[in-house]
Amino acid sequence: MSDSALSIRLMNLFRLQDLDILIRESEDPDLTSSEEEMGFPHPHMDKLHSARERLAERIEKRDLRLYQKIAKRLEHAIVPVEDRTCLGCYIALPTSAVSLTTDPEQLLTCENCGRILYWLE
Amino acid sequence: MGWSHQHFSGEVIKILQYFDADLFCPDLESTTKDDVLAELTERLVASSQVKDSGLILDMLKRRESLGSTGIGKGVAIPHGRSLAIGDLRVLFARSTKGVEFEAVDKKPVHLFFLIVAPPQDKQNEYLPLLGKIAELVKEKSARDQLQGCESFEDLSELLEERFGV
Ligand SMILES: [Zn+2]
Repeated sequence: MSDSALSIRLMNLFRLQDLDILIRESEDPDLTSSEEEMGFPHPHMDKLHSARERLAERIEKRDLRLYQKIAKRLEHAIVPVEDRTCLGCYIALPTSAVSLTTDPEQLLTCENCGRILYWLE
Repeated sequence: MGWSHQHFSGEVIKILQYFDADLFCPDLESTTKDDVLAELTERLVASSQVKDSGLILDMLKRRESLGSTGIGKGVAIPHGRSLAIGDLRVLFARSTKGVEFEAVDKKPVHLFFLIVAPPQDKQNEYLPLLGKIAELVKEKSARDQLQGCESFEDLSELLEERFGV
């Protein structure tokens, strides 16, 4: 689809989740030890936390609050939609939600699980 | 481009399904680490269902800031998860000249496997795949074969041979 360009607003939220996953996985002792067994060096975390702080400052306060609130209770705050289904909770979205997808500024959440949704295709 | 050789063993199909002829890049042009990451990302974006190359490049650079994914002997495996990709993908690339990639053994990197996974990993495929590729490139004979791959078919044959029955 040609209108799939993400707004900067959404982009920074996506970036934040990518970074949070990286931080979480790099601080997980089981994961880091498997990576070390594969030959990757032990992770140096010093830069990531400050990068997160800087990125969070660039996100609108209300978006950040929403993201943090969801992330506190669920593993992924932002999830894709596939076949009109939220890939966080696997519940089909109502048609009304699907018709909103053309607005790149619209921050849409799943009615069932509350996660922020985005359309990958 | 589809890849559905049903006569392959289950495991080969599992490995090969993440590769694609469009994700076979035997002639990287970049000569610096940052440029290589950007070129790998561009190639991935050109042929996969990817929402935004900037997201992927940011993630890869941040992953490198933890420590180089250049694991030595001329091999690097940049990897990570991003919301920008829908399905797990592996891109194979090669640099004839070799690239200074801050590798653990400080040697230039010639062979690259870029692995990008979506955040939600339903089948838990990403880490086992990373492990298999890391294991593959530990063998000198496999690295030599990878250096000699002229086509995606060569690469597929190699993977079949290594991971097949
Ligand atoms: Zn949901």
